Amino acid sequence: MHTKLPDFYQKVTDAAKKRNADTKLEIRGMENFRAAKLASLRVGRVEDEIMEITEDPNVEKVEVIIMPRVPETDHSVIIKGIYKDGTCKKAILESMLVTSAGEDIELEGVEIIDDRRYKLP
Amino acid sequence: MQKLKYRVVRAGAAGGVVPMHLAFIDRSDVIKAGISNEKACQLVGAQFTDGVAINVIDLDAITVTSDGIIADGAVVAFASADRGKINPNFGFLNVSEIPYTQQLMDEEPHMKQWDTDYYRGKRLYRGPSAEDRVHRSSHNENMTITGRIASNNTGSEVMNLIEMTEILTPIFGQLQLVRDGAVLIGKTGPEMSVGIGMVVRERRGRIFGWNYGAGMTAHRSGKYAKTVKCEDYSIVAEKSLLAEYTIRALEAGLVPGLHLGCSPVTLSIAKAMGLPIGLDNITDDAWIELESVGITKESLQKPSTPLSREEVIARADEILPGIEDGKRYLASDICDICYVDCL
Repeated sequence: MHTKLPDFYQKVTDAAKKRNADTKLEIRGMENFRAAKLASLRVGRVEDEIMEITEDPNVEKVEVIIMPRVPETDHSVIIKGIYKDGTCKKAILESMLVTSAGEDIELEGVEIIDDRRYKLP
Repeated sequence: MQKLKYRVVRAGAAGGVVPMHLAFIDRSDVIKAGISNEKACQLVGAQFTDGVAINVIDLDAITVTSDGIIADGAVVAFASADRGKINPNFGFLNVSEIPYTQQLMDEEPHMKQWDTDYYRGKRLYRGPSAEDRVHRSSHNENMTITGRIASNNTGSEVMNLIEMTEILTPIFGQLQLVRDGAVLIGKTGPEMSVGIGMVVRERRGRIFGWNYGAGMTAHRSGKYAKTVKCEDYSIVAEKSLLAEYTIRALEAGLVPGLHLGCSPVTLSIAKAMGLPIGLDNITDDAWIELESVGITKESLQKPSTPLSREEVIARADEILPGIEDGKRYLASDICDICYVDCL
């Protein structure tokens, strides 16, 4: 079962504010996705983990950041020529490898890093 | 307490053109310290509060440049470190030895150099094996990434992913730094940009694999290939040294464009010495890239007086293309020698 992207945002928001409605929230990393389905079991785990993070009364803000786990990602580039009427006669597909900084850049100075991700093969 | 020696070219070296720290560890020092390559990289990485690329180099082994020239020294492990840490999944890569087999020698004609007196019996290291590359997918390059620092192509192309800067460290330049020799540091320029795409077919190459062979271009970018690394800086060996090693390959009977990559360097040396060039084996795509830097079939066929190996080495700065506004540095001018306790 998979969760709709808007439902994911809502569930994350609800979890962050469940203990304290004033808790600030920032969600980053899914901006390029207009529509997506997210593994529901993982969404549930994230909801629980947000609750766990907000157990600490000193937490004023929760950041939820989603990024590729493999920091060199394989993308398609789709180049389309659009006519006046909005139709497209020709498109070209190209490959693009994107190398970006991984989770390390978000973890500087963090005292406890509890890695609950499944192990990579 | 046992100490591990390492060398570091610090960010800002060479008049400010080196964009991040580059550390080099001699494999013999790792052995002396009685630790693994990975532990050595962790110890060195922990000495830096910002990003550093780390290569472990075995000076008794051999590797192969992208255009098929054997170098007497090899990267046997490499890592990216940032804020003192190495990412456990993607920050380190070991490079396993490639055994000498008749199949390899039959399939890869440029490896004939391995049978020459210069390199016979030496251990070969090129790119990481499938086992070395664990956690990486088939699309991933031979790259380590931790935080801001990515080190690609088996430790010869280093990037800061946030500042989006980059420097190339071809193997002969690295070896000069570890051997306390001299290097040239300058803009990579158009000829070298073209040359790094003129590859040989290798199983487990440092950069490329089996898809493209001698006479072909792995870049396939037409007139734009010359721009690919043009503005980035490179740390390379002096041209006389590159000439020496390229001549060794040519003297083994290897032909640029047929057995060796048709890079501007291999072609220019073969032309200068009046040695054969696989003109008919060079593909149309490769010719477009070569012509974009002024190397044409006609220019290579033009009659000229052959030079001896000594003459080519003496006139290497004039004969070998590549590197713009290169400045010569002794390794001791730009490299600090440091020690870290092996805890």
